[in-house]
Amino acid sequence: MNLLPNFMRLPAAMLLVLVCTQGVAANYVDLRRIEPVHGDAAAGASRAVVCVACHGPNGNAVVPTFPKLAGQRADYIYHRLVEYRNADPNAPYYVASPMPAQAQTLSDVDMRNLAAYFAAQTPTASPTITETGDEQGATLYSNGDPAKGVPPCQGCHGADANGPIITASRYLAYPMLRGQHAAYLVSRLNGYRDKQAHDSTNDFIMRGVAHMLDDGSIHAVAVWLDSLPVVDKH
Amino acid sequence: MTRSLIRFLPLACVLCAASAHADTGIGVDTWRADKLDPTGGMASQACDADGTSWLAPLQRRSPTGNLYNCAPESPRTYELGDWIYYGLIEGGYLGASGDRVALWNRYADWRRNNLVLGLLQVNLERPSDGSYVDVRASRISADDQLYQSVFGRAGAYKVQAFVRDMPNILSTDAKSIWNGVGTNNLTLPASLVPGASTPAQVAAVSAGAPLTTLGVKRSKQGLGVSTYLTPEWTAYVNLSDEERKGTRPYGGPFFFAFAFEGPPFFMQDGGVNETIKPIRDSTININGGLRYAGSQWRFDFSYSGSFYRDKYTAYDYQSPFKLSPLPVIPGAISAPLYQGQMSMEPDNDYHNLQATATRKIAWNGEISFSAAGGRMSQNDSLIPPINCQGVFGIGIGNLQVGPQNPLLYDCSKWNTTDALSQKTADMRIDTTMLDARIRLNPVSQLSLRGSVKFDRQDYRNVYLLYNPLTGQYGYPSENGTQGSIVPGEAGIFDPLTSPSALTRVRSLPLDIQTIDANAGADWRFSEKNTLGATFDFNRYEPTNRERTQIDASSFKLTWVNRSIDWLTLRVNYTYLNQTGNTYNFDPYDFTFSSSLPGYVPPAAGTPSHTVDAMRKYDMSSRDENKIDVMATFMPRDDMTLSASVRGDWNSYDAQIGRQAYDTAGATLQWDWQIAVQSTLGAYIAWDRSRLGLSNVQDQQNGAGVDPALGGANYALIGQWWANDAQRDWYAGLTFNHKFDRVRFDLNWNYLYSRGLTDYSYAGPTALAHLVGNEGPGPGNGAFPSMVYRVNSITAGVTVPVNERVALRLFDYYERGRINDWHYAGFGQGLVAGNRVYTDAGPQGYNANLIGLFVNVKL
Repeated sequence: MNLLPNFMRLPAAMLLVLVCTQGVAANYVDLRRIEPVHGDAAAGASRAVVCVACHGPNGNAVVPTFPKLAGQRADYIYHRLVEYRNADPNAPYYVASPMPAQAQTLSDVDMRNLAAYFAAQTPTASPTITETGDEQGATLYSNGDPAKGVPPCQGCHGADANGPIITASRYLAYPMLRGQHAAYLVSRLNGYRDKQAHDSTNDFIMRGVAHMLDDGSIHAVAVWLDSLPVVDKH
Repeated sequence: MTRSLIRFLPLACVLCAASAHADTGIGVDTWRADKLDPTGGMASQACDADGTSWLAPLQRRSPTGNLYNCAPESPRTYELGDWIYYGLIEGGYLGASGDRVALWNRYADWRRNNLVLGLLQVNLERPSDGSYVDVRASRISADDQLYQSVFGRAGAYKVQAFVRDMPNILSTDAKSIWNGVGTNNLTLPASLVPGASTPAQVAAVSAGAPLTTLGVKRSKQGLGVSTYLTPEWTAYVNLSDEERKGTRPYGGPFFFAFAFEGPPFFMQDGGVNETIKPIRDSTININGGLRYAGSQWRFDFSYSGSFYRDKYTAYDYQSPFKLSPLPVIPGAISAPLYQGQMSMEPDNDYHNLQATATRKIAWNGEISFSAAGGRMSQNDSLIPPINCQGVFGIGIGNLQVGPQNPLLYDCSKWNTTDALSQKTADMRIDTTMLDARIRLNPVSQLSLRGSVKFDRQDYRNVYLLYNPLTGQYGYPSENGTQGSIVPGEAGIFDPLTSPSALTRVRSLPLDIQTIDANAGADWRFSEKNTLGATFDFNRYEPTNRERTQIDASSFKLTWVNRSIDWLTLRVNYTYLNQTGNTYNFDPYDFTFSSSLPGYVPPAAGTPSHTVDAMRKYDMSSRDENKIDVMATFMPRDDMTLSASVRGDWNSYDAQIGRQAYDTAGATLQWDWQIAVQSTLGAYIAWDRSRLGLSNVQDQQNGAGVDPALGGANYALIGQWWANDAQRDWYAGLTFNHKFDRVRFDLNWNYLYSRGLTDYSYAGPTALAHLVGNEGPGPGNGAFPSMVYRVNSITAGVTVPVNERVALRLFDYYERGRINDWHYAGFGQGLVAGNRVYTDAGPQGYNANLIGLFVNVKL
């Protein structure tokens, strides 16, 4: 006896074939649909001992090639740690970085707690500023360079460079840039321009932006951002 | 070289040559696909797992809130010198089973066991200069195939060519009593005597005839070139040729059948013959021009032309039944007509030249002027009025032409082109168009627009139906049979022998001038609300119609609201009023013999052409109210629910004619993008229409002279009303999902269409044909409902074998159920009395198509 009409038997068989299949994971962190990160800042403080060796007391890095973490958005810090944990330590972009190895020692809870901790710290001005930002950097940040197809940075990072004010989840992991070390920013932008960074969807956005930036523009906008006085958001 | 090879030449040239220049905006038939893949190759493209944008999850939404389709997966490319390429070839087995009927095979050549090329697609690009070559092909059979090639260089030139064959099966259950189907000469078999066979003999021939498939194959080929002459100037030319070859069921009158069937009338009188028309024609289309796009000015100068050619000017057919005159004249004898002729569409040419200039102006605006002039002409050789031999008409006691037989005509005086007032048609319509439009955006919240358009069609030349051999006017109607059965209705006016015959003697020029003016504005009065208003005025000034001036004014209001984040609401309302000057119910007298010198009205007067209360629907005064409400809900980022309701109500100022035409509809559609490569959707739609009309049967057998409704001829007892109601339901479900590496797709579609025509009448004399049970007073009834119901379901699975090879297995099942009373009883035979039908009509069916394809990425 046929339980199904003839025309339904083939579709049913196809469905049966598919029952045991499973999902697939992307090879980058998809930041377009994320939930806000919450963590225990006090617990994070106890795990930050190793971090401050490079990133400075309270996350205010002294060495300009290391990013300041103090006051940075928790969502950015957390997902950046996830990216490090997923990264191939032998990839050219990471071969000289201790972070992939460091991230392997952290649990997901650790990363959330660390993110909460550094986000709660008060940023301080860079002690190593030797240049003041000029008009080119300010213009690039505010208006972009339409002739070259460079969009204004403020569109995603906020008019005051403290990150976007829009609260939709896909904007949570856009970092604060105000007062960040110029050397670190230059390093990151070069990484985007050279298409070495590919760890998150936001990396692909920045690769498209940096593709049109020359050395002078990268330097100008990085120095201008570094020169901005930090703001205590707390 | 055979013709089939010749038609591939343009395609081959495109593949081999490379010396033109073009842009990418202009095409030759911009969309080509087949029923196996109506998306033209897009169905084989998977969604890009990375989504559409790095900035946002899932797909973007349109301004009205609907999710856009996913972005296709980027192909893996390979290098070939300084070119990169990618491509795929998909081919395999396609097997159809079940009922092979016309509706199932329309526009597709599904066969029982068939090896097919589903899709061949090759793309080459040279990044260094933007050169590209695209080739696409699909072949289901020799009758159902397409090949196209495009090459060019971005920003420089583009050349494209295509060849497309497509079948159109019209009937698979036809039975022809004629030999020579597909030619222009249909002859009866030896077992039938033309003009002297009995219904039983004809029925036997029809019953024994093999089932015949009637259909038309369209073969089209085209070539297009466009090029940038400078960064601002573009030149383009596109040429296509479509040839149609095949057969289709057609008419073929031999006058009277059912009305006088059976005692005491003449079973073999005339008859109805559904003949088979041969299709052998071609249409060449050409367009070309120059375009300029600067920062302030844009120009467009273009020419378009179309040239239709038919292999045949007419086709002949033999008629099986004899003719007998109505018994109103003692001793009357019908002429022994046994053949007829149908003319084909005439060869014709179309030319149109157009120039448009557009300039940016203040207030972020634009102003545009267009002028066009065209000519439609046909000057085909005319065929003789009749193809009979001997005589046609009615003789009194004998069939000798002469004064003693004023109702009998000599075929030799009518079966030659010398019987025509001119040998070729020499007809022409000239067209003129002037158009001016302006758009202004004085502030970002306000947009203003307006336009004026002048359009005119001038008919040149009029054909006079005059036979210089006889000095008579008119034409032998119904291939001479009407006048051979009904005394005095030969369709011929003779100022000496039949000075009171009322017949058509002149063609009808339908010149018309149209002026269309409109003005409108869209005002975004708040961030989330936009109001729009448009006033439109049309003035039509036709000649030789019931009105010489018709004015239609409409006012349209639109409102778009996005106050709620998850809802876009659009509302449109239009009110239209059409009126005009005095309605002349009979402006056509000049085309009849009554306008000729020598015409003598009958003793009772010239019969009226129609009733004075008739209002033709395009000339009638009417009011229209139309409303559309569309709501797009976005309950989640990945979900859309669309709902719409619409209604259109038309009220006509007509006692006789169309009185109302109302339509309404509603749709509900739900789309859920579960993940980038996973979608689920469903829809349901309903619509209905109602057409109400009234007419009145004349009470004096065509001889009444009083045109007044309620008068002696068009008495109110003869009035009838018909109401045509159409109701349709549509529903569907679609599901696509990628399980790991395996893609699965499922589609179900349902269509239910029901049409019902009911009628009522004031008295039985309103009816053209009585069945015998009508009472003396008013009555009503309905024709059986016509129902068309189709269910179809497709399920497919695509399984990758490795990175370059995948298997696709799919099944498509379709079930159709048809209930059309026009074809009722054809199962018992296609010949009923002296009516000969050929096409048994659409049939219900169960059919299945299974495909197993291998997809290889090149």
